[in-house]
Amino acid sequence: MSPSPGTGARAAVRALQAALAAENSAVYGYGVAGAHLTGARRAAAVRDWVAHENARDTLTVMLTARGGQPAAAAAAYQLPFPVRGAPAAVAFAAYLEDRVTSVYLGLVTLNDPALRAFGAAAVRTAALRATAWRGSTLAFPGLDLPVPFVRSR
Amino acid sequence: MECWAARRYAASVDLTRRGVLAAAAAALPLVAVSCKGVGALGTPPKAAADVAVARDAITVESSLIARYGAVLAAVPGLAGELQPLLAQHQEHLARLRARLILPTPQPTAPPSATPSAGAPATPSAALAYLRDAENAAAAALLAHLRVAPPSLAQLLASISASEATHALILDAHGRHR
Repeated sequence: MSPSPGTGARAAVRALQAALAAENSAVYGYGVAGAHLTGARRAAAVRDWVAHENARDTLTVMLTARGGQPAAAAAAYQLPFPVRGAPAAVAFAAYLEDRVTSVYLGLVTLNDPALRAFGAAAVRTAALRATAWRGSTLAFPGLDLPVPFVRSR
Repeated sequence: MECWAARRYAASVDLTRRGVLAAAAAALPLVAVSCKGVGALGTPPKAAADVAVARDAITVESSLIARYGAVLAAVPGLAGELQPLLAQHQEHLARLRARLILPTPQPTAPPSATPSAGAPATPSAALAYLRDAENAAAAALLAHLRVAPPSLAQLLASISASEATHALILDAHGRHR
């Protein structure tokens, strides 16, 4: 059951839209997380925030080139847990990166080799950022998502 | 030929012969197999590529595990830092092995993948040695990304990203020494 070229192109647009949605929520999320961080961690949040803005722009261009209509960001997003204070902000940043990692794995299933490679590179980048926030590694980034956990104090 | 037609054909051949029961007993399983085979022909057999890619990835993981073993033997003081990463490599290996549908057991690692002789003896050199090995493994796992079936491609990309994060952690441990 090999997909027709039309189905492949539609699947690519769908996967790119999902990645764009995740990037949009990450841009919003880093705005929330950054507000609770100071010093080096705030600088890291700003750096990652900019990286997600750039990724969003890249995906917008890729979608437009494929005849897709890039979905607009929502005005606000529901947070997975209350983000008050630095520990929760750090856990939230790791959570955002886990979500982004998972969504980019969707691009790796596509038939287009260039999109597969693009997806794998983005999976790696997001997993590295998640590790920097979490301070530890996952065996299967994007595949087995950890339950978000906020250390109390 | 449709399955019902195959069965009728087999039945008519059998009826012209003596020893109908014996012939039918022999013929029916063949008919059943061929019906299943006709259905399977609809999709190209991708199993071979799947197995070859999974085998290569298994070799990469086995080689990494051997390197961790060699370093732990040479620098036991690194166990606290290395055990969590080694445990994740065991998970990688187990999940890759689960992809192999062949019943024959695979060798754990080819002779070239047992680098125990070259493990450095100082902690910082050992951490750098493993960091480089992780980076090399991360790249090697992506080498067959384009030919892998979708779900295996996802597994390879995920494991490759995991190796990259291991390199990041090993680098951080190295700089804190």
